[in-house]
Amino acid sequence: MALSRESIIHDLNRIFAENFEIEDPDPDENLSQAYEFDSIDAIELLVEIEKILGFKLTQEEKKQAVEIRTINQICDYMEGLAEDRA
Amino acid sequence: MGERRVVITAGSAITPIGHGKADIVKSLKRGVSGVKPLRRDDLLSEYIHSGVFGTVDYPVEYDFDRRFKKTMGPVAFYACQTVKEVLEEAGLDPDFIRSGRLGVAFSSTHGSPTVQRGIYRQFFSGSSEEYSSVNAVDYLKSMVHTTAVNITKMFGITGRVIASSTACTTGSQSIGFGYETIKFGLQDAMVCGAADEYDTTTVAVFDNLLACSTAFNETPHLTPRPFEEKRDGLVVAEGAGALLLEEYEFARRRGAKILGEVIGFSCGNNGGDLILPNADGIKATLLTGLQSAGIGPEDVDLISAHATGTKMGDVIEAQAMSKIYGDRPPVVALKSYMGHTMGACGAIEALMTLYMMEEGFIAPTLNLEKVDKRCAMIRHVTEPIPDAEIRIAAVQNFAFGGVNTCLFLKRFDG
Repeated sequence: MALSRESIIHDLNRIFAENFEIEDPDPDENLSQAYEFDSIDAIELLVEIEKILGFKLTQEEKKQAVEIRTINQICDYMEGLAEDRA
Repeated sequence: MGERRVVITAGSAITPIGHGKADIVKSLKRGVSGVKPLRRDDLLSEYIHSGVFGTVDYPVEYDFDRRFKKTMGPVAFYACQTVKEVLEEAGLDPDFIRSGRLGVAFSSTHGSPTVQRGIYRQFFSGSSEEYSSVNAVDYLKSMVHTTAVNITKMFGITGRVIASSTACTTGSQSIGFGYETIKFGLQDAMVCGAADEYDTTTVAVFDNLLACSTAFNETPHLTPRPFEEKRDGLVVAEGAGALLLEEYEFARRRGAKILGEVIGFSCGNNGGDLILPNADGIKATLLTGLQSAGIGPEDVDLISAHATGTKMGDVIEAQAMSKIYGDRPPVVALKSYMGHTMGACGAIEALMTLYMMEEGFIAPTLNLEKVDKRCAMIRHVTEPIPDAEIRIAAVQNFAFGGVNTCLFLKRFDG
């Protein structure tokens, strides 16, 4: 399933607002430093990413997310996953 | 290092008969019961014979940031709220809170059963889609030391963590172990207490053991009935209690208001049956406690009995108390007001005892219309005692697993 960057950002903004009480995060801000987004949030976000992508992530794919710090990096990560599975 | 004294400088509780000292004292003086009908839960309640629960049926306002809430189940909300109130009351220096000289002794019976129930529901749903949503957050919310570590996180406490989980002696052990930790110089102050949330699983356990009250489902306020002829079992309840203990000189130097003193603690085991209470085990614990406090039975002015309202437990406790104390000190069963708050009961009952000590009154055991003759050898409080001089009080708690504890509190007279 092809996902546009716009729709990914739209979904992420919704998740960040509903799940993490973070409204309209700056796409290039370090989420940990700017919004106190931590490892526990990251685990919850991975579950939400699976729902958006419509498939389960492998352990290896999840480990690739460790270095992610910003919304734009999350988008890149999701686009890459969608492309690999296409 | 000389003998270090340990004083109580703040306390708060969320209980079926009120939130905080003012509400709780008012309920104790008015004889208010916090026992209510068991709520339907679409899982267990329809199979349980007991239809009563000691319920916190008023709203509790929580003002916690998301970063704290995300790892908290209901039990941690109770715990953190009472500790927040305790730290506000104590006015500890923020630098001290983070110094490593303040520790936490806090726990619950088994973490958050509400969250655990959600996890099991997903496990047994048979859906692989559901499985992946059981994650680290669920564990942090449900684990047995969830109260203690959510407290450390919320308030930045960096000292010792003791999360003793021993069912109904959880709270009394928290206070006792916190007391010993300060007394022996390992910390200068300890946040102590325990919490347990609304949980029908616990009711089902006691119901299956025929230990729950079932005869008063239509009149919940008439049960439990500790030491009373028509008692028919315990009533499970929810709540939390927190106290701040400090080394006396430390508290004095910082100008803290001292509410009372912990002068002794004992903890023993029956060394046998994991369910049945044991008079010899209880007596040994009471004697060890008196020795720990450096006092004799004649010095004790009030006993807060464990007294859950079960058929045998109350008789055995009365027998044990009688052997040690005779029929002199007044005995009150505080569970008659709110049921059995499980892990929290030791902390809540210690606080209520402290409140009675501070305010100079003794609340009577509720529903004690006719004392069971097998429990009649001790001095029951059946009417309010408005002008009571309580210098030293004992708080007794016993747990599944044969664990017995006794705390000794002393009024602070300067």
